[in-house]
Amino acid sequence: MRRSTWKKRKSIIMGMICLLLFVQEAPYVSADGKTDAYHYSFWGDAVPSPAAYEATTIITGKKLNTTPMKEPSDMHVTANQHVFVLDSGNGRIIEMDRNFKLVRTIDSFEQEGKEDHFKNPQGLYVTEKGHLLVADSDNQRVVHLDEQGKLVKIVSEPKSDLLKEDFQFKPMRIVMDKGERIYVMAEGVFDGFMEFSADGTFSSFIGANRVQVDPVEYLWKRFATREQRSQMVMFTPTEFTNLDMDEEGFIYATSGDRGKDPVKKLNAQGTDILRREGYQTPQGDLMYTQEAGPSRLIDVDVGDSDMYSVLDSSKGRIFTYNGDGYLLHIFGGIGNRLGLFNTPVALERAGDRMLVLDKALGEITVFQTTEYGRTLHEAVRSYYNGDEDQSSVLFAQAAEMNANLEYAYAGIGKALLRQKEYADSAKYFKRSMEPKGYSKAFLLYRKELMREHFSWMMSGIFLAVAAIVTVIIVRRQKRRTTNAGIK
Amino acid sequence: MQALSKQLYQYPLHLIFHPFDGYWELKYERNQRNSLLIAFMILVLLVITKILHAQYSGFLINLSNPKYLNSLLEMVYVIIPVLFWCVANWSLTTLMDGEGKFSEIFMSTCFALVPLLLIHFPWIWLSLVISAQETAFYYFSNALAVAWTVYLLFVGNMTVHQYTPAKTVLTMLLTLVAMAFMAFLCLLFFSLVQQIVSFVVTIYQELVLRG
Repeated sequence: MRRSTWKKRKSIIMGMICLLLFVQEAPYVSADGKTDAYHYSFWGDAVPSPAAYEATTIITGKKLNTTPMKEPSDMHVTANQHVFVLDSGNGRIIEMDRNFKLVRTIDSFEQEGKEDHFKNPQGLYVTEKGHLLVADSDNQRVVHLDEQGKLVKIVSEPKSDLLKEDFQFKPMRIVMDKGERIYVMAEGVFDGFMEFSADGTFSSFIGANRVQVDPVEYLWKRFATREQRSQMVMFTPTEFTNLDMDEEGFIYATSGDRGKDPVKKLNAQGTDILRREGYQTPQGDLMYTQEAGPSRLIDVDVGDSDMYSVLDSSKGRIFTYNGDGYLLHIFGGIGNRLGLFNTPVALERAGDRMLVLDKALGEITVFQTTEYGRTLHEAVRSYYNGDEDQSSVLFAQAAEMNANLEYAYAGIGKALLRQKEYADSAKYFKRSMEPKGYSKAFLLYRKELMREHFSWMMSGIFLAVAAIVTVIIVRRQKRRTTNAGIK
Repeated sequence: MQALSKQLYQYPLHLIFHPFDGYWELKYERNQRNSLLIAFMILVLLVITKILHAQYSGFLINLSNPKYLNSLLEMVYVIIPVLFWCVANWSLTTLMDGEGKFSEIFMSTCFALVPLLLIHFPWIWLSLVISAQETAFYYFSNALAVAWTVYLLFVGNMTVHQYTPAKTVLTMLLTLVAMAFMAFLCLLFFSLVQQIVSFVVTIYQELVLRG
């Protein structure tokens, strides 16, 4: 009796302590954009997370001592962190150095002795050599300039049997690989990206999205007459919204509609080789309202160590994934304070900073990694480079800062596995919801345990079997004697 | 009393290994009240197994979110299908010259679930000590349990209603259809009730807010 009351009292005291803890750890809400970051757990629930980036400054035309930007649509950052912005409305390219000081603006180039201008250009790419590629949309051409801004070549009016007679070439986004092949995302082209060889001739399409068929619609179509069918919308594959190229020459592409896989990594043949080993496939937001719809990914930026970020235009959020497809962090949003955007269109990473271009406001928001973001990136980087010990230390630090980062626990588990701490390793893998790793660690742990306790376990089993056999024999004997007695 | 307690576990075990004998006994020779008691106990044990399975089975085979574990719902997941099956089967077989009474159908169905119980229960603990490769055994034994249960259901149906094998298969398939139909009707009914309730509530609110 006394014990039960003590138990009760204990539980009450424990409850009060817990309550106290809760009060102390209640999340505080601040207006500096630091605490509204979130993350998706293994179960797909949105969970709080520390911010990986925080907005530091905004770059506008005025800050650069030039005229304001008008509907800028694309941006590119080179290896030495020079920022090129394509100021579409003014038909010019603005180049800044790494401290966001204006270096030069390019608004015209010389073609056959005459000055030529851009007309509503939409896409920009800067090669490693500093060559500029501009998708000069309304002029229906791609302009290739060298690092001085002199014309190298113009790609226009592709001729091919693959294209329709009345094909209008309207390039929107553009990249160039090391072999000087140009990949163009053009408006109204559903067959994938247009690939141009180094001399500017059209060679083929690569990486078309598969047609997504809605079963209900398909059923209706089967029942419809020919006339009705001609009135219906055709099943067309989704268009890409953007593309980027990583160091190895793979194209990362995003498509706007939530098809099966809105993010793709294409190899030279155009097959999707993006790794989707994470808890969820890379797709932006998992939770959304029916009215708002899923994320509309409109830009992708590939950083180092296979990490890549995608930009969601509908909610203004930036999602970063690692090479295996695990979500690392989410930041940004639509709104009116620093760190939020109005109409984000382009995303670029410049070292530790992330730049987001806002089309309507004509400004670039500069984000700087926080300590948490740096730790996480460094951990991913060291894991990518094969330095597992370093990465596990960093993952442990990241997990310390964000207990909801389940992904980090697998990193710790891997290191423990190598240190032969199987039991702990299994525990961490389990916390990370990583069945493969867990199984490996657990199997080794089980083997270890078995080896340690084999002798008494085996003798125990032997004794138990012996006891059961004896009991059976004894009982049978007894029954036989009683039966004999009855007879 | 001792005889009864022994009978409690011996008889179901006998039945699942010798279904033809077992079901015959169930229909014609056994004490109906005892059998009914056993049937209810099987159902309760199955519910317990299901709940324990969702909560405690190993992480490699159990990927259900513990946050959303609801024992009442787990209970419903066991009881509703059994109940639906029995009702649908009874409704059909009364029309199709079946000889089974409702209690017999219920008992035979519950007895058929014993393999599920016997195989799932140990796996709650076994699953804690297996690795990913060994989950194949789990899935295999799971399939085995289901197959066994279906076989027992078949024999039970045949014996209870005194059907030919072909007719039994037909009845079982029709029962499934009837179950789907019942589920549809239930959903319709509940959604209508919900609509009516919300309508009344809305009117009440209107009145209260105006007054």
